Amino acid sequence: MRISINWIKDFVDLDGIETEELIKRFNLATAEIEDVFYMGQNTKHVVLAKILSVENHPKSDHLHILKVDDGSSEPVQVVCGAPNVRVGMVTAFAQVGASVNGYKISKAKLVGVESFGMCCSEEELGIGSDNSGIMDIKTNKKMGTELSEVFPINDVVFEIDNKSLTNRPDLWGHYGIAREFAAIFDRKLKPLEVDDLKQYEKLSKLSIKVESENCYRYSGIAVDNVTEKRSPMEMKIRLNYCGMRDINLLADMTNYLMLELGQPMHAFDHSIVGGIVVTEPEKEIDMLTLEGGVHKVAPHSVVICDEKRVPVAIAGIKGGLKSGITDQTNSLLLESATFNAVAIRKAVKKIGLTTDASVRYEKSLDPELTTVAIARLLKILKQIDGGIRVSSSLTDVYNFKYPTHKIDVDYEFLNKRSGVKLEKEKVNKILTSLGFEIKQNGESLSVLVPSWRGTKDVSIKEDLVEEVLRMYGYDNIVPQSMNFNLMPVEQEKEHVNEYAVKRLLAEKYGVSEVHSHIWNYVDFNKANHIDEVSYVSLLDSSNSGQSGIRSKLVPTLLRFVSENKNNFNDVRMCEIGRVVSGLDKNNLAIENHMLAICLASTTKTEKELYFELKTMLNNICESLLATKVDYVEGKTSNYYHPINSNLIALKNGTVIGEMGVNHPKVKEGVCPKHNLVSLELDFEKLCAAEEVKTVRDKVSKYQSVALDFSFMVPNTINYAKLENIIETFKTKLNMTYSLKDVYHNESMKNEKSYTFNFVIGSMDRTLETKDIEKFSNSLIEHFKQNGIELKI
Amino acid sequence: MKQTLEQIKKDFNLELGNVKTLSDAENLRVKFLGKKGAITAVMPMLRDVPAEQKREMGMLLNEVKNHVQNSLDEKIKQLNEQEIENQINSAEKIDITMPVNLGVGSLHPRTIIQKEVEDVFISMGFVVDTGNEVETEFNNFDAVNVPSSHPARDVQDTFWLTNGEVLKTHTSAAQNRILKKYGTNARVIFPGRCFRNEAVDAGHENTFFQIEGVIVNENVSVANLIYFMKEMLSKVFKKEVEVRLRPGFFPFTEPSFEMDVKCPFCGGKGCPTCGGSGWIELCPCGMIHPNVLKMAGIDSNKYSGCAFGLGFDRLVMIKSGLNDIRVLNSGNLKILKPFKLNI
Repeated sequence: MRISINWIKDFVDLDGIETEELIKRFNLATAEIEDVFYMGQNTKHVVLAKILSVENHPKSDHLHILKVDDGSSEPVQVVCGAPNVRVGMVTAFAQVGASVNGYKISKAKLVGVESFGMCCSEEELGIGSDNSGIMDIKTNKKMGTELSEVFPINDVVFEIDNKSLTNRPDLWGHYGIAREFAAIFDRKLKPLEVDDLKQYEKLSKLSIKVESENCYRYSGIAVDNVTEKRSPMEMKIRLNYCGMRDINLLADMTNYLMLELGQPMHAFDHSIVGGIVVTEPEKEIDMLTLEGGVHKVAPHSVVICDEKRVPVAIAGIKGGLKSGITDQTNSLLLESATFNAVAIRKAVKKIGLTTDASVRYEKSLDPELTTVAIARLLKILKQIDGGIRVSSSLTDVYNFKYPTHKIDVDYEFLNKRSGVKLEKEKVNKILTSLGFEIKQNGESLSVLVPSWRGTKDVSIKEDLVEEVLRMYGYDNIVPQSMNFNLMPVEQEKEHVNEYAVKRLLAEKYGVSEVHSHIWNYVDFNKANHIDEVSYVSLLDSSNSGQSGIRSKLVPTLLRFVSENKNNFNDVRMCEIGRVVSGLDKNNLAIENHMLAICLASTTKTEKELYFELKTMLNNICESLLATKVDYVEGKTSNYYHPINSNLIALKNGTVIGEMGVNHPKVKEGVCPKHNLVSLELDFEKLCAAEEVKTVRDKVSKYQSVALDFSFMVPNTINYAKLENIIETFKTKLNMTYSLKDVYHNESMKNEKSYTFNFVIGSMDRTLETKDIEKFSNSLIEHFKQNGIELKI
Repeated sequence: MKQTLEQIKKDFNLELGNVKTLSDAENLRVKFLGKKGAITAVMPMLRDVPAEQKREMGMLLNEVKNHVQNSLDEKIKQLNEQEIENQINSAEKIDITMPVNLGVGSLHPRTIIQKEVEDVFISMGFVVDTGNEVETEFNNFDAVNVPSSHPARDVQDTFWLTNGEVLKTHTSAAQNRILKKYGTNARVIFPGRCFRNEAVDAGHENTFFQIEGVIVNENVSVANLIYFMKEMLSKVFKKEVEVRLRPGFFPFTEPSFEMDVKCPFCGGKGCPTCGGSGWIELCPCGMIHPNVLKMAGIDSNKYSGCAFGLGFDRLVMIKSGLNDIRVLNSGNLKILKPFKLNI
């Protein structure tokens, strides 16, 4: 929203305050000023000039050759294309060397005739919307007078960030902003000059019927005998500087009032619209609106109809074309109304039309403003067109009043919440300057919230902390340390581990951490033969491109692997991220924290990569989490190799994930030149796994004995089974073992030789030969019972 | 015998001059001192030497033997030194400036900076908690005082799910649970991934990180909030920073502020990082709204609290020097891998 400082100065005296100071203090106390425009600075040497003669250009059918008196000693020749030139007319003349809204004027030749300057239209000067001809100025000032001395074209305009005004319905017009400036700089806010509406009480009422609950208040009045059609230049300049075009006096008046008070208004041609019915049609209607477009108005939107129930405006958004003001209009029905903010917002969304009015209505405007706006409009209109006649009494249907908020608060509360010792007088002064009515009762304060702050903004004592502090100045608050009981804090285990795991993978295994979107990439999965279900989807996927939420992490990583395959021989990635793995009985998403790792390499074999994954996981488990996992056979997701993949289980048997070589079909699509393996497990469950304490062997002071045994092991028995066999072997001796060698040659059919190194000893004596023999025999026997023979 | 010994010495000296290698030296040692060596062979002759000459001959024998031994030792020492000298001179000159492969991967820039920020908070006695990414409408909106008609609830702004839940639009979705869990002596931060239904470009993402924190106690004040944020941000930027508050509006805080940091890169003069304004808008914050405290079962008359957010992805971009926010959610290793473990 644009704010003209000239306009603000109508209501508050800001003399002696630099623009920079205005911006800084307003930014810190009220809302963000995004931009500042120094209007009129780019217009120089544009002066009043009277047209002395008009001749047709010999070689052009529309150009004229003028002689003008611009105050200099000799008449100046200028070629002009405007259709409205006439002898005796006073216009805005840009002399040679002038600047017209930034555009430099120099001597020129137009179709062979020399021209020393340019006559300007309002639009060319950026001070009006009329470009149909050059300015036609009524003035008694001397020719040659700078335009800036004739009209207030010099102004400073602030662009305020609309978002920062979202919760301040009172700041959508200059008067509200002026109130803030008055409070910030401790200046007096001038009362608004308004027409006395009581004088029309005896006139007949308009017919206004409100059938919609979403119309909180509808105030109307009728005016006739309007003869003036054009707005004064001062008004046009303000409208244009604030980003609106000027149209005609009555339309401009309603816009002017909106910019001044924040209250949108609408003027109907009273000869067309006799009375008003505010209703919510059950059917969709088409509305031809003022800007010339046809809009479909959804059923149950609030619509303004005339007394014959013909729709004439979309409430709070836009007026209809047929009932609007034209240059022929001389009687009008003035609307000043308030609607339910949510109803307007919804209508805006459905219709797809946002207007200056709807933006304001969406903020919950103060209904008390409707009649003030009418009174103010009449006051100004009468100054411009003295002949107008108000032809009805104020007709006011006020169906919904916001409650009046009265807040009782102790000064001590304000001090405590702010951390500042505020003087009572200062508090009182700030609140009063913002329009709050206060009553001090010793140490406490009773505060009546003004209607323009009470629609949603201020209702509790915490709101008053904000009001007082922002005017006191946030930068005047002295930061204060906090006094807390000291106590040790314990960090969440999973969160601590998350970082440690990422770091381990990156530091030791060259893995890069990535963050992927939470979407399920259906097309990618389909193209690469990856099955992945989505248990929930987005209602609107226009911005995400994908509608499903992922249930697995590996497919999103495979997508990234594919994107990187041409740049790296080794792609190693991990992510700890969320997936939705189902819905619970209350239909709520079951969200899991998954760890996924994908390794792709052009140089390493699948087997090497698969074991690398296992090394990583074992390292995570043993060095960080003090737990262990088992690698068990079972059905894995379809993007894994049917044989070379496995499930990952905790020691208690709970399956928490899967890993393996990826399916050849998947690899073919994702990275055909790389070998590819992946892992995914429930990280939350892994972190919560029971700690598996490593048993530390006691040191014996007696010598131990090392023995090697080689067994012929059928291929159907995996290493885990061998381990299990050894661990179920019972001996009274201390025993440790390690795998020394696995051997296979062509003569061995369906079996391999495994050599284990056993170290045995006793805590209380040196072993004798018979102890060693006894151990060997029973170990060999134990293996035999499990179907494994000693290698001979 | 004397002649024999002198001849041996003479022979030895002659041959010593021809020793070029350690094995020559060893051969020579064997030849003179070995079991069948010349000196060893002479030793039995001592028996036949007349008694009066025994002493003289014995000394001579020893002298010759020592001479041979010492000369050989000296020669071997020389040869060893020469050998090392040769090794040095024949060594390949290693170009240590050649590139090496560290074999390390990389942490995500968010993770690197998140850890930095968390460490600052932990040093101030905070607990780090987490939240879900899928949240109920209640947690995301109602529990943090967002009115049922608030535009943020629109499908156009929020990713609504088919089961009626939402992808959380802000970390505040965890506030209710956090406040209930930590109660009236809460000092908690909860980083998390948030989602907004908006178009993606270099400056906007529909998926982004926030870090949010709350402090609840008796009489937490705005002055406390400013103190705390200033200290915290100074640590994050590793230099004393200046902060300022501006009015803001959030349904879950009252009063609400936008906290700006005076640009630590240009000192407030204006630079590309701060967009020329001299200030970086980084921390929406405020005093926790009494309704939010009440909904978490905390007596808002006795206790107060402040809540603050950190526009975390913005911070990551600033600190990492990235200029396209989309990189953060991409698998682009060409950009991500060089981050390694630090920024």
